[in-house]
Order: sequence, then C-alpha cells, then structure tokens
Amino acid sequence: MNKRVEPVYLEDKLQEIRADGHLKYRSKSLPTWCPGCGYFSMADGLTVALNRLGLDNRNVVTVSGIGCASRFPFFVNTYGFHTLHGRVLPVATGIKIGNDALTVIAVGGDGDAFAIGGGHIPHAARRNVDMTYLVFDNGIYGLTKGQTSPTSALGFKTSSTPYENGDAPLNPMMMLLSYGASWVGQAYAGKPHHLTDMITAAIAHKGFSFLRILSPCVTFDKTDNTYKNLSMMVRDLPDGHDGTDMMAAMALAMQDGHPALGVFFQAERPTLAEVMQTSIDRAQQASAT
Amino acid sequence: MTEPVHHVIIGSGSAGFGAARTLRENDADCRITMFTMDAIPFYQRYELPQIFRGRSDWRDLLAVPPSFYEDHRIDLRRRCRVADVDGANRKISLSHQETVAYDRLLVCAGGRGYLPENLTGYGELIHGFGSFEAAMQTYRDLPEGGRVVMIGGDMVGIDLALTLLDTGYGVTLITNSQTFWPHELGAEERAPLLDVLRARGVTVLEDARAVRVEARNGGAPARCVTLDDGAQVQGDVVMAFCGLASSVEFMLRAAVDIERGLLVNPQLRTTNETIWAAGDVCQIWHDSEKAYKFYHGWKNVRVMGELAARNMQGANEVFDVDVEESIGIGEDGEIVSTFWTRGN
Amino acid sequence: MNKSGTDIQFAICGSAGDGTIASGDIVKRAAAAVGFHVIAFDVYPPEIRGFGKCISRIRVSAEQAYSLKEKTDVFISLNDSHAIPHVGEVRDFGAVIYDDRSIAPIREGAHITAHIRPAQIPYGLPIRQISEQATNAARSRNIVVLGYMAGLLKLPSRPFREVIAAKFATKPQAVIDANIRAFDAGLEAGRKVFRLDDVDVGTVPDHGGSEAVMMTGNGAIVRGFLEAGIQSYFGYPITPATSIMERLAVEMPKQGGKFLQTEDEISAIAATIGAGFAGSRAATATSGPGLALMTEMLGLGVMAEVPSVVVVSQRGGPSTGLPTKTEQSDLNLAVFGGSGDAQRIVIAPTNVEGCYRCAGMAFEIAETYQTPVIVLIDLYLSNRYETVFPSHENTFAPKPRKVPELAEGEPYKRFAFTESHISPRALPGDAGMVHTVTGLEHNELGRPGDGDHMRMNAKRHEKLISATRYPGLTVAKRFGDAGKVDVGILGWGSTFGEILEAMFEAQDAGISCSAMKAVMLSPLPVDELRAFFDDCRTVLVPELNYEGQFANLVSGALGRPVVRLNRTVATPMPVADILAEVKRLAAEADSPERIPATAGVGS
Repeated sequence: MNKRVEPVYLEDKLQEIRADGHLKYRSKSLPTWCPGCGYFSMADGLTVALNRLGLDNRNVVTVSGIGCASRFPFFVNTYGFHTLHGRVLPVATGIKIGNDALTVIAVGGDGDAFAIGGGHIPHAARRNVDMTYLVFDNGIYGLTKGQTSPTSALGFKTSSTPYENGDAPLNPMMMLLSYGASWVGQAYAGKPHHLTDMITAAIAHKGFSFLRILSPCVTFDKTDNTYKNLSMMVRDLPDGHDGTDMMAAMALAMQDGHPALGVFFQAERPTLAEVMQTSIDRAQQASAT
Repeated sequence: MTEPVHHVIIGSGSAGFGAARTLRENDADCRITMFTMDAIPFYQRYELPQIFRGRSDWRDLLAVPPSFYEDHRIDLRRRCRVADVDGANRKISLSHQETVAYDRLLVCAGGRGYLPENLTGYGELIHGFGSFEAAMQTYRDLPEGGRVVMIGGDMVGIDLALTLLDTGYGVTLITNSQTFWPHELGAEERAPLLDVLRARGVTVLEDARAVRVEARNGGAPARCVTLDDGAQVQGDVVMAFCGLASSVEFMLRAAVDIERGLLVNPQLRTTNETIWAAGDVCQIWHDSEKAYKFYHGWKNVRVMGELAARNMQGANEVFDVDVEESIGIGEDGEIVSTFWTRGN
Repeated sequence: MNKSGTDIQFAICGSAGDGTIASGDIVKRAAAAVGFHVIAFDVYPPEIRGFGKCISRIRVSAEQAYSLKEKTDVFISLNDSHAIPHVGEVRDFGAVIYDDRSIAPIREGAHITAHIRPAQIPYGLPIRQISEQATNAARSRNIVVLGYMAGLLKLPSRPFREVIAAKFATKPQAVIDANIRAFDAGLEAGRKVFRLDDVDVGTVPDHGGSEAVMMTGNGAIVRGFLEAGIQSYFGYPITPATSIMERLAVEMPKQGGKFLQTEDEISAIAATIGAGFAGSRAATATSGPGLALMTEMLGLGVMAEVPSVVVVSQRGGPSTGLPTKTEQSDLNLAVFGGSGDAQRIVIAPTNVEGCYRCAGMAFEIAETYQTPVIVLIDLYLSNRYETVFPSHENTFAPKPRKVPELAEGEPYKRFAFTESHISPRALPGDAGMVHTVTGLEHNELGRPGDGDHMRMNAKRHEKLISATRYPGLTVAKRFGDAGKVDVGILGWGSTFGEILEAMFEAQDAGISCSAMKAVMLSPLPVDELRAFFDDCRTVLVPELNYEGQFANLVSGALGRPVVRLNRTVATPMPVADILAEVKRLAAEADSPERIPATAGVGS
C-alpha cells in the first residue's frame, strides 16, 4: 500500500506532452489523489481539452465543491474556486453571471453532485447556464474514506452500509436528460482519449453541458466499480444514435447496467445569459418609451 | 352564572343620564347601555346659549368627564339611531342593522324642536339649536352684531334671545302660540313679559305669522322672512323656537300606547311591562286631572329619569312634580322661570 | 420630536381587498407631496387571499418624527370586525370615521359604535352608499373615506386628487374619473360635518423647495443598490425581504443589471459570492430563516475573502416564527452565524434614509474589506414609509478598480500579509495572477495548508477594525444631552426611532438623558460605545428580542453592565415602555444608592 507508484505515462510521453503545450494548464501543485485514481486521466483530459480549444487560462475558472474530485481546481492552472460541499453549481452560476466572458467549468464527485448538491442540478440545467459540469462518478465517498453514495449499487457494502446498501441508485443520465440539460454525455476514466474528446466537446457546447465520467475508487471499492468491472460493462454508443432524439437518449440512459459512452443528447437553446439579455433589452425598450 | 340584567336607555339627556347614574348606584353588576344620536356625551342643552358667551368648546359643557362612563361601566353608544323597538321580544334595532336585546328599556328620547307646519318647506334655511353642533353652526353663521329672527320663542329661545342681547346681537321675535312654551299663559300674563323683552331690546312682532323664509344670496343680511301681511323682516339667521315634539316614531311597533308622547303610569311605566319612559318623551297619568300630562323643565326631567331607574330596579315610586312650572317677573325686573337652570 | 405644528397620525383599518393599504398610500403620498414629513407602517395579514386584517398607519408631521405614535389621531374603519380591536388606539378627542350603515343584519356589539370610547369622536357616514352613488360600485369606499377625511379636516384636496390620478394612471380614464368622483363625494360629505375632535391640522411646512421622496426601507435599499450600480442580484422569496427582489427585478435590467431568482437561499448567497469572485457588484436579500441557510456560505466568503452584500430583514422567530411581524432576534445569527471565527461586517440602519445610505455604501465596503457585508434591518423598517432626501450627486457609484501590480518574476499572492491586512485582489481575467481561492485554510498563495492558520485568522479579523472608521459611514451617533447624564439609551435598528421619541419625552420630563444608536454591529465601534458608557450613570438597551442579543454583545465587548428592556410583542417597541423604564432608572439614579445592573433576561 505504502509503496509509491510513479505515474507511468508522464515518464513515457514527456516529450510528446511538452510539445503539445497542454502542460501550461497544469498547476505546480501535485495532485493528492491515490495512485491509480481515475481522476488523473480527467485532470489530464481537461488540460488537453483547454489546450485544444486554445483558451487563455486567465479567462477560465474551475469551480468545485468538496470531495476528492473537488480538489481539481488546485491542479489546473486556471482561476479556481474551491467552494462548499454541494454548492459548486450555484457558485459557478454566479461566476458566469458575474463575468460572461469567462469559461466556467464545474467539477465534482457523485456525492457532491447528487446527494448534498442534488437540488441545484435541475436549476442549472433548465436555466441552460453556459458552463460545463464534469461529474466524476465512482459510486462512493472517497474523501471521508468509503461510505455509500447516491450512485452506489444495491447490495454494495461500505462503512456506512455494513449490511449492504438497500437504497436504489440514482440514474444520473436520466436525471439530466429530464432536467433539460442541453448537452448530456458519458465517458470513462479508463478510456482517456475518448474522455478528452468528450471534455473538449462539452466545453465547446454553448449552454449547460453535463459529462458523467465513470471512474473507479481504487482505494475504497475493491469489488464493484473496479477498472476491470467497468471496462467490461461500458460500451460504445449504438450505431446511428441520434443525439437530437430525446426518446433515444432516454432509452440509452435507462440501460445503466451497460453504460454507453458518448453524447446522449444535445440541443440548441438560449443560454441564461441570452435570456437575461432579452430581459435587459425589453426593460430598456420599455423605459425608453 | 346568570347574565346580569341588561338595562337599555334610549337618550342621553338629563333623564337618561340621571337614570344611568341611578341604575349604577343601586346595582354594581347590571349592564347599562345608553343609545344616543349625539356625538358627544351628556351635556345640558339648557346651557347652549353659553356658546354665545364664548364657551365654544363642547368639553366645557359636559356634565361629567367622558371617563365617567367607563368608570361606571355605562356603555355610551353615540351616533346611534334606534330604528325600531320590538317590545314583545325585548329587542331594539339600530339603523345600522344591529340588534340589541334588553331586559328593561327606558326611553328618554326627549323631543325635537317643533316647526310650524307652514314653514316645514324652509327647514334648510332655518338654523337649529337642538344640539351642540347646531348651536355652534348658528354661532358661526351669525356675524358679529348680527340679527336673529326668532319664530315663536319658547323658553329655550327666550333664554337665547336674552343672551344674544347681552352679547351685542339683535333679536326680532315673531310671537305665536308657543311663545313662552312650556308655560301656558293667557294674553294678560304674556303682555308684561313681552314688555320686559322689548325693554331689553327685542323687536317683538305680535299678531303676525311667518309664511316664507328666503336666503338672500350674497347679500347681507342673509335671510328674509315674509309675514302673512306681506311685510318682510330681515335678519342674518332665522331660528324657530316653538316647543318640543316628542321623539316617538321608533316606538310604533313597541306595543305601547302613544298619544303625543309615550303614555306612562305614575310609576313611569308604559303599557309594556319592561318599558319605562322619562322626560320630554312621555305623558304621565295625572290621577286627579284624569289626563296624561307632559312635565318639562330640567329638574322635572332629571327626577323622572332617576325615579324610572329605581322603578326598573323593583321600586314602586310614584312621580310627584318636583317643580310646578311658573314664570314671572323678578324684583330686578327680569323674567324668572322655573324652566331655566339659572338661579338654581 | 418638536411638538410644534402638525403632528397627526392616521390609521386606516380594513380587510384585505378593501383597498386599505392603497388608501393609506394615497394619504402618505399626498402628505409628502405638500412637504410634510411622513412615517408610515402597514400591517398585512400573512394570508394572501381571504379577509385578513390590514392596517395602514401614517404619521404626518411638520417636523421630522422618528417613529409612529402610540396613539392615533384619526382612525378610519373600512371593516368593523378588524377595526374594533384597534379603535382603542385612538387618543381622547381624536376622530373615528366609519360606515354608519351596514348591508346585512349584524349581531350585538359588532358595530364599531359599540367600541368607540366616550372621549373619542365618532364620525359615521354611509361610506358604501356614497361610493355606490358616485361610482355605481362599492369598490371606491376607500377613496370616499379619504375625501370625507379631507373635507372634515379641511385638508387641501388638490394633492389628494393628483395622487389618486397618478395612482390609477395605468388604468382607463373612466377608473380615474370614478375615483375622483368618489373622493369628491366624500369631500362634500365631510365638509358639511361639524368637527368635534381637536386634531390640529396646522399648516404645511416650507422646506424651501427640497424634494422629499417617499419610500419604504426596502425601497430605499433598492435605490441605494441601483445608485451603487448593482450588477448582479440573486434572491429567493421570503417575507419581509421579497419586495427588494421584486423591485430589483423591474429596475436592474433597465441599467443592464442581471437578476436571477434562485432555487433557494443557499444558491442565492452562493451565486452572490460567485459573482463577487468574478468582480461583479452582487447582492442578495433574505430574512432570518434564509440567513440561517446562508451562514455556511458566508463563512466561505470570509475565508476566501470574497466581497458580497446580504440584506437581512428580520421577522419574528425562531423557525418560521411570525413571518409578518417585526422582531430584532437575528442579531446573533448575523454577527456570529456560521462555523469558526468568521467575523464579517454587519451594519444596521435605524431609519429609511439609513437603509438608502447603508445599501449604497455596502458594495464599496465589501470590496474594500473583501468580505461579506450584512445590512441588517427588520420588517418594521422594510415596510415602513418615510420621507427621505436622496443625495443629488451619486456618491455610491463604483470607483475605478486598482489591478494589483506585480514585480517581474514575483508570484501573485492572493492572501499576502500586508500592513492593512488587506491583500491586493486580482479578478478572473487578470493576466499573470491566476489563482484558486478555497474554503480550506490556506497560505498567502491560496494553497491549502494549516501552517498559517493563526496568522490568517488574525488577518481576517484585524483587516476589519478600520471599518469602524469608514469614511462617510455613521457607525454610531449620540443624541440628546451632551456630557454626563443619568440615563443613556443605547439602541440599534428600527427600534431607535422609538428610543429617540422616548428620549425627547424624558427630556421634556426633566430627565438628564441621551441616546446612542449603534449602526455598525460588527465589528463594534467600541471607542464610541465606551465613551457613551463613561458618560451615562445607567445604560438602557431596549430591543425587540427576548434574550437581549445586543445587550449581550455590548456588555460582553465592553465588560460593562447594562439594563435590558426586551419585548417580543410582534409590534414595534412601545415608546411608553421605554419611557417608563427611563423614568424608573432616573428615579433610582436620584436616590443615593446606585441601582444594580440587571443581570439575565428581561428587566
């Protein structure tokens, strides 16, 4: 357990990475995640995505709540706000309203998102706040050392469910689709290249984009969401999936036992900033007459 | 626990006030409610001429301070018009559609100034004196040194006339049968009294009848009274003082006998066992004269109120006239009358 | 207040739907339009529909007044069953105006004439009938009575007509005409009435043409915010703060501001802090229950040193409590609420003008000290109307921001230790100063770590000390007798109006006394408070809570005893209660033995 495991990919691909330029999006702080944690591939994926999109780091804000995933802002070289447990979305909404020129990326884990923060997701989604919400779903509370989470499977044994979890897990994909998120996708930490593409697409989307990233907790979950199990469960999007078809997206989301990877649904609709601008225009017209 | 007896008094003048005070003195527990059309608590209407002597704050006229009613738990309900009394069911209805149940009712509604029938069409042009507000309005409308044309001249009017003369106003008196009411006087008794008034400066017009009152818009004086002989009398204010007509119209369904006033026995009870009456509103059976008689004058009225109250509480007292009404000329050459409060 | 000249309190009582509040509004606007000072407070039922009680009380005076009077001079009943319990507030020889007809039989005692005390003057008129005759509808009863009152008291009718016309300006002309007819019909009836009350109408004061604006405390907050160029507002409906949100929803977009109704109070403060982090002038407003939800986030604002402005209008508590009644029981929550040593700035204006100034300055203070600023008011202040005189030049507008300057190669330290304890703040978008802020304890760079906890705590507290000297902000002020006095009355918030009225009456009674208002409650202006305590033999602290929250705060901070006067009666503090206590204390101060300070709750 105590033996330090060096992240292999850094050593192997150093040259390639330096040439790519995405390292400038990496902060000087070293991630505190456990070796082998799925979150490393996400942090890497984000820096690559930011680089691909050519975003100036001073105009990007990474916002998080509390949890393992929420340490994220410290490890990327953008403006960051590490907030409170469950409150990443309202803070991120405020930042976006406060300065619409900023690219806002909210991150968190499944507990932060779907338990304590569950009440905020529908509202950020329905308002279509132009931001990206990356939820790292490992089905467990890692930072508090392994309690059950809203996406833990039935029968899962943790320190808070010693006699097995009896609470039915949430289905985040169905939730987000029904909340009216204008971009809903799914990725897997074990497929880092696809993950990077998905993060890039999510950020590029105008409106509220939700990316669920399946990930193992290598320390506290040795039985369920392991790399081995997840790798067997995940599948590609069915051929010919129509990302504008809500019924098809819902059908896909319902099959959470075999999670599909890709963009389930995407739509164009006015963002919160655009709606607010309409109000401003109307108010100014009304007061001018 | 039984409900305390509810005494309701209609009217807040001398009789009503005297009755309420007596009721409370004799029974600490009974409920007492007084209804009055007035806006202000009991004051002596006989003192209203004092307004012309500068007592224009109504609070100076009050017989007792307003707190008296609260201290004595007398519910004084002002600005309430009794529309109807249901004597059979012991309920009174107020004009604002409130119904109030009573155990015993005392009617002391008094009377209102009588206006000769031929002048009723000119009511709006004739100033009143029946309430503080009316008297004040007259006071305000009468210019300094102005003249009052007085029709009739009952004892309230004569009192006012004398006050007006004292305070620099002029008075023209058009006499009629009600002059010196309630004193009933023959022509030979009248003449010296009218002479006193003339000597004091009153212009007395006898043998004339007012037939028309007109407003002279913008002109001064503001009123013109035409007499039956076609002569015209001018003044700033026209007032009628022709005695009182009892206020009994709300008693028509009360199942009590009414002639001009409410008819009561010497114990002041009406023909309904739970309704009494006192003051100017009632006519009392006079056994020796075999007739129902009015008794006026503030002393008589007060005595009646107090007596009725005691009888309501179980006594069986008989009204005995406190003061036989009389009028004459005093040693100083001035009119003296038992009707007036002055000198008492 | 100065007793000379006009000083009339009107009260209009009716049922929801009678137009009670609307007619009160006309009275206050008409009075203000002709130059009177006005203080007004409306009481609404908690229920929206149905027939709950509404009372509008309006004090109109030639001289500045500081609170409503306990006794009303002119009382109007639009609904007897609601008015009857309140008719006792009419003073002796004051006027009671009511409908002397009723449309259906009523039970004994249900008419207001059964409850008008002998020293009060009844003025009955057929209100409904006059309305129906004038407008073919009973709807204008509330306007008929205004006409009657104006006719009775011989008030100038033109301002009433103008205000009525303005009030119905958005309605068809026929509606305006009908209401003017209703007013005129009432006026004619009133003019005929012989007055028996002794209400002194006085004469209209001459203010030399200065323009009074009538507003509520909440309206003043909104005006202050707008003049300060508020850019973002996040709110969640809660009585009595809702009208701030509703007004801003209308007004902010006109000046390009962004308004959002959030899903709860947590999101409201979270978004406010988020917007503040992004450099936007952002605010939210709530009441006690909402503040309770916000305290965790306020702690983040303190820790991450992000400016935000939170208006808190208190109501009766705890829990849902008395949602439509006033109280001052959230002081502890505002000053201390949340986890850890999380000192923030709390300012509590004492009148409507103060609401305007505090709201106007709050952003700049929050930006200067990089911390949450709570503007603490209460329902009484939120909803009461006063005439105020706004600044002619806008002093609240944002000043140009200073971008931190970095030497070449020097890392940007968001939480740098400085002499003022305030660190130069960079905003997202600034080049070369990319940083992350966090609710975790952190070092100067903002990186998580416990090592600097003590120094960071000191920094976060000491940077606020100079706020008690903030230029242009009244943090505490003394009124009344100068120098040594027998009794000092120390107050805060809306109750200070009643305190001043009581102090003036005590002075008239020959008592040596003065009063101090504390506007800044955190950090406390201890120098001013200590000087006041030094001058007063006894200090009385009247407040609308049970525990004596401000008394505890002050006596704890200064180590001095105070005498408490606590009321939780769902209404503003009765002036008579304060006066009685002042008289008691003054009498004891006269006796050779000093009175012991009252310990514990109550007095």
